[in-house]
Amino acid sequence: MYRSGKIVRMNTSIDISHIRNFSIVAHIDHGKSTISDRILELTHTVDERDMESQLLDTMDIERERGITIKSNAVRVSYDADDGETYQFNLIDTPGHVDFTYEVSRSLAACEGAVLVVDATQGVEAQTVSNATLAMNANLDIVPAINKIDLPSAHPDEVKTEIEDDLAIPADDAVCVSGKTGEGIHDLLESIVFLISPPKGDANAPLKALILDSYFDEYRGVVATVRVFDGSIKKGDTLRMMQAEGDFLVDGVGVKRPAETPVDALTVGEVGYVVTGLKDPEAVRVGDTLTWASNPCPEPLPGYREAKPMVYTGLFPIDNKDYENLRDALDKLHVNDPSLVWEPETSVALGFGFRVGFLGLLHMEVVKERLEREFNLDLIATSPSVDYHVYKTDGEMIDVRSPQDLPEATRIDRIEEPYLKAKIICPPEYTGAVMQLAIEHRGVTTDMIHLTSKSVEMRFDMPLAELILDFFDQLKSRTKGYASLDYEFNEYRPSELVKLDILLSGDEVDALSFIVHKDKAYGLARGLCDKLKEIIPRQLFEVPIQGAIGNKIIARSTVKARRKDVLAKCYGGDISRKRKLLEKQKEGKKRMKAIGSVEVPQEAFMAILKVDE
Amino acid sequence: MAVTALYVHVPFCAQKCRYCDFDSRSFAACDLDAALDSYFEQLYARLDSFGDAGALAQVRTVYTGGGTPSLAGERLVELARRISMWCKPVEFTCEANPESLTAELASALAEAGVTRISLGVQTLDNTELAAIGRIHDANRALAAIATVKDAGLDASCDLMCGLPGQTAASWRSTLDGVLAAAPHHVSVYPLTLEEGTPLYRMVCRDESLEPDEDFQAACMDVARQRLSSAGYHPYEVASYALDGHECAHNIAYWTGRGYLGLGRSAAGMLDDEDFDRLAGLFPGVAPRGDFHRVRLVQRDDAATMFDAEYLSRREAAAEDLMLACRMTRGVDSDLLVRASRVIPADELAAACDRALELGLATWVPEHGDTHAGPIASVDVIAGRTCARLAPTHLGWLDGNVLFELFWDLA
Repeated sequence: MYRSGKIVRMNTSIDISHIRNFSIVAHIDHGKSTISDRILELTHTVDERDMESQLLDTMDIERERGITIKSNAVRVSYDADDGETYQFNLIDTPGHVDFTYEVSRSLAACEGAVLVVDATQGVEAQTVSNATLAMNANLDIVPAINKIDLPSAHPDEVKTEIEDDLAIPADDAVCVSGKTGEGIHDLLESIVFLISPPKGDANAPLKALILDSYFDEYRGVVATVRVFDGSIKKGDTLRMMQAEGDFLVDGVGVKRPAETPVDALTVGEVGYVVTGLKDPEAVRVGDTLTWASNPCPEPLPGYREAKPMVYTGLFPIDNKDYENLRDALDKLHVNDPSLVWEPETSVALGFGFRVGFLGLLHMEVVKERLEREFNLDLIATSPSVDYHVYKTDGEMIDVRSPQDLPEATRIDRIEEPYLKAKIICPPEYTGAVMQLAIEHRGVTTDMIHLTSKSVEMRFDMPLAELILDFFDQLKSRTKGYASLDYEFNEYRPSELVKLDILLSGDEVDALSFIVHKDKAYGLARGLCDKLKEIIPRQLFEVPIQGAIGNKIIARSTVKARRKDVLAKCYGGDISRKRKLLEKQKEGKKRMKAIGSVEVPQEAFMAILKVDE
Repeated sequence: MAVTALYVHVPFCAQKCRYCDFDSRSFAACDLDAALDSYFEQLYARLDSFGDAGALAQVRTVYTGGGTPSLAGERLVELARRISMWCKPVEFTCEANPESLTAELASALAEAGVTRISLGVQTLDNTELAAIGRIHDANRALAAIATVKDAGLDASCDLMCGLPGQTAASWRSTLDGVLAAAPHHVSVYPLTLEEGTPLYRMVCRDESLEPDEDFQAACMDVARQRLSSAGYHPYEVASYALDGHECAHNIAYWTGRGYLGLGRSAAGMLDDEDFDRLAGLFPGVAPRGDFHRVRLVQRDDAATMFDAEYLSRREAAAEDLMLACRMTRGVDSDLLVRASRVIPADELAAACDRALELGLATWVPEHGDTHAGPIASVDVIAGRTCARLAPTHLGWLDGNVLFELFWDLA
């Protein structure tokens, strides 16, 4: 976190014409977080001694993985070359396809966007989708070509790509280096001149959009808002128009990037509101805030709800943590409204939840946040998509967990979600990409040569194929050059079967998987072999079997452990012996006993690691 | 309960073995003498303060380990003499390496009160010896066994299985060679890879050197067959002895008796009463809470710093149960009955039942108990049936599972 010893109350009233609200959008890894850091530095928002890389990425996971997951709004004062001081509200946004909804949320608060494109990579799939989102939101776009310090940078070609592929004029594109700071000053000047100031009426009834919120033990829900009309100050009674609740404002402030209280948030500004509300569910992201006594007539348009794509079971290793997991999901939901869940029961794992995610990265991130921020030990089970199962009695049911699949005799047909996938890559990899798509039941629908260096391919493919190892495979087969974007297309009938896994002869429901029948044998063999690697040797031999219905189609065996004993004599230093024993036991704690078999957590995700 | 066992640590070696992570230093020959002199002076002084405090009067067994105690030569003899002035142990073991055990040293030690020599033989294959950094060869080892016996002392041999390059055939010939030399006692240890040792680094570079658990298990099985049929009965996980030649000192460790540790890195264990009496010997160590047992490890040469670990009555009972599982005869019913005073009987019975269910242990009726039908754990714990819980073959080779079951009761 940013360290600040002093909190200074700031009087920040500034003319609305001097406010610039903008997002920085980019394909993942194109360097928007570094550019944000340089802006904070150049505007003296952060002292050099406090400078840490990726300042806006406050979550541990963001820093460790070097990615942005959550949007973050920071206020910056900029003394421009025209002698005036401007207030910038800078909103950093995620670049991964899983988090597109975060981007669209942030854009609703902005008048402009800085579109960052890597000078060595050029336009990629997420560059296209983020630019489209920004244009659809009618934002003023400032293209910034980043990493010009690299020898392989080719900014002129990237300018052409921006004009050709995105239809954005690139004459005004700023060449920058987030690493050296070169061009950042020009970028700040461009923001002043190219991005419009906000419009709004300071004297009209309050109309403010809730962009984001999080739960604080002491202050309750803290909401990040953009004021479109009117103003908010401490002591105001505000109304949430959708949720239909009122609350007294405990305080308002802005992030610089440490939270700094201010007297008021006025028209056009972005900041946070301390609601004091202790119910995490009370505040909805996308809701409109207004004055309780003098409300505005119409709420702002909310957000399109993000639809989960992937479902996995989340189970506490210790069944006693079930209620804690429910609370943790509730609290995380405030900050991540795209999360959905329902209770799930597994014979093998006990009580847990079937949780819907935007994608696998989103799933990993949520699981890690639940474990770290709420101190839980969790098992995640194989991911599944939402299948439409038409039963022989005419009823259609949504099946998001293999366990919910009815008996084969009661199924008329199963439909699975198909995607429109878009892959951009250099021409020499089109063959490899097509081959990969075929292996994943994809069909090429279109292929466009964007430039001499990039081809856009479009595929029809089942979502279920994409959530396994598709993305990793795509990256490895194209040496990292291909980029991927996708959207839901439609449901189509498919020949699907349920693959069951038996350990020591007993079916383990949490290891079942729904798979296309042509792939069942290969996957069953791969999964049995992978589980053999993952499950440690036990006192007894553990047979692993893959089955469809009553038919065993694959088998492997974990041999019995023949020796596990501390024989060495430590001259009476029994403590040392016992510590070794305890260390061994710590390892076992991370395992789940299923019948008499100790199964490590990662076994339930083994499906993702099967090499086909 | 009086202290009946004394352990002395001699942390010096001519050359450290590649697998060893015990506290021991090696010195160039010229510096070694001075270092040994200074170290032994401190041992003598510490011994005297033990004696003056009345801590040694009841000592029945002494074990001098290392390191390589035989490297100390005449100093070791002097130490044995001084120990014998404070107590009359019925068993007094010195560890020795074949290269530093001369006939003169053996008879001098015998004269000074030593009764038993434990020899670091490890293997009788010269290539294997070289691979683990031992500086003796097979002939020297066999000669050392003869030297010990000639001096009228009990001979014990330490052997290791799972060594780099070792095969089933070379293991069998090591066992044959040792049996032909007819020591009184044999210990068989599977090689364990310890982080930070040269062997560990070797394995990091070449995985084929890593001890194979299946091979080690097979070696342990073969050793048990060969040694048993030659009259050496297994009485502990790693220990085999001719009748009447079991190591009483090591048995003291596994049966919860108190012991004192002398020298750097030596561990001692005292109950609350003994500690109250002897606390003055352990500066900086204060009794804590409702402790029942304290384990003390000397941290420096001068015996001014100690690590202390305190165990409650319940923890001590769980530790005793765990250690009893190391013994071939297993957990006696009187130990179970005693443990049930501090550990709820249902938990104790559940642990026994789990051990039976997993096939790790079995009930063996005792003292002519003519109990008809299967033995119930609750009956033994309540003292209604007399039986011991003995580890099975599985409970021997996978002992950690069994140990954990009982330590979990703490």
